Amino acid sequence: MTDQVNFPDAVQWAVPFFIAAILAEFLWIAIKGKGGRYETRDAVTSLIMGAGNIASGFLLGFIAYAFFMWLWQITPLNLGTSIPVIILCFVLDDLRYYWVHRFGHRIRWVWASHVNHHSSQHYNLTTALRQTWTYTFTFMMVVRAPLILLGFHPAMVLFCGGLNLIYQFWIHTEAIGKMPRWFEAVMNTPSHHRAHHGRNARYLDCNYAGVFIIWDKMFGTFVPEQEDDRVDFGLVHNIGTFNPLRVAFHEWVSIWRDATQPGLTLRERLAYCFAPPGYSHDGSRDNSEQIKTKHLARHPEDRGTPGFEQFVAEMPDTKVKQA
Amino acid sequence: MPLEILLVLVVGGIVGITVLLHLTGKSRIRALTPESVRSEWLRHAPDDDIIDITIAHDRRSALIRTETGNGLLWSFGADTVARHLLDFDWLEHPEGFEVQFHDFSTPKVIIRLDEFERPHWQHLMDPA
Repeated sequence: MTDQVNFPDAVQWAVPFFIAAILAEFLWIAIKGKGGRYETRDAVTSLIMGAGNIASGFLLGFIAYAFFMWLWQITPLNLGTSIPVIILCFVLDDLRYYWVHRFGHRIRWVWASHVNHHSSQHYNLTTALRQTWTYTFTFMMVVRAPLILLGFHPAMVLFCGGLNLIYQFWIHTEAIGKMPRWFEAVMNTPSHHRAHHGRNARYLDCNYAGVFIIWDKMFGTFVPEQEDDRVDFGLVHNIGTFNPLRVAFHEWVSIWRDATQPGLTLRERLAYCFAPPGYSHDGSRDNSEQIKTKHLARHPEDRGTPGFEQFVAEMPDTKVKQA
Repeated sequence: MPLEILLVLVVGGIVGITVLLHLTGKSRIRALTPESVRSEWLRHAPDDDIIDITIAHDRRSALIRTETGNGLLWSFGADTVARHLLDFDWLEHPEGFEVQFHDFSTPKVIIRLDEFERPHWQHLMDPA
């Protein structure tokens, strides 16, 4: 199928809104004296990462688009571009986003691209723009293949993906506490996404949703933000650089160094590339489950609370390895 | 959107926000205190038992002795970064020491020390 379908690049058109919203959030914090923090170099790094993300789209976007158009040519299905189809596409693409995002936290190869989004210790609207430059190299575009094979035009799928990213912009803020209960129940919100950005043991690997938080509730990864466990933003091991090149590529460099060290088996080398972040062949690092286990050894009262549900049963034989 | 307009918006936006943040005092470096060093270290390394803390006179770096070895914590904009001193080199620097971490995400940090504290830090970091 080669029929011509055009949709605008929604993210590009949203750039003026992004700038205005950042200024509004900054003014709000300055006037109210609460609701978030800004730091010059952190914000500049985030903004440059955002600009680089747009540039990488110009430079590398053709790879994914060519792949999608090839799929579009081989599929016999065409659902058209009616409003109900666009809405359905948006919902299904959000499900696609959930899984790509989940892979992004559980597969180091994909985490290498996504980690930069979590590398700020701040959480404000500039953090939303701290986006990857290397998404193409994760090959996660294949997760969109079913949508196109089902008959959703690639241009429409990319348009819905752009709307998804624009939605996620406003939830990167501490200026908004909780939304109305019905909204919190269905939609991804600043509160839910703050938890996702937390480096606290409780909040590791939770709330992968883009627009609809229902996916996390369906697949068992939802953790509500807790008033008694304030979110600590950033990475488990925070990076010490504002250099955008280092921010963009540091995990790729780490994978290379880990996987090419001498004396490893092929299985260990592959695990350094594709196992969950925190894997090490000699047990010298902790993955998120080990971090949670250690946390519960220090705080047994948290056992069974949100984020630690999988540790409900007492495990007296669990031995906690020293750091 | 035409590329020229997008370029103007992106560059203008970055420059404008940078100037605004700097002029409103958001470029200040965090000053460390014994209490903040302790809490920040345990934030980064919650399993550690801290023995003692030495803060540089400029209040931007601190050496932490723990049961499992030494660590360094330093101001990073408004925040802090911490590293155990495991795989690192330290070099003389006109302002103190330069610590290199062999880590692409945290390549180095400069610890600014005056002439009185430099020998003490040297002893702490390399007691041999």
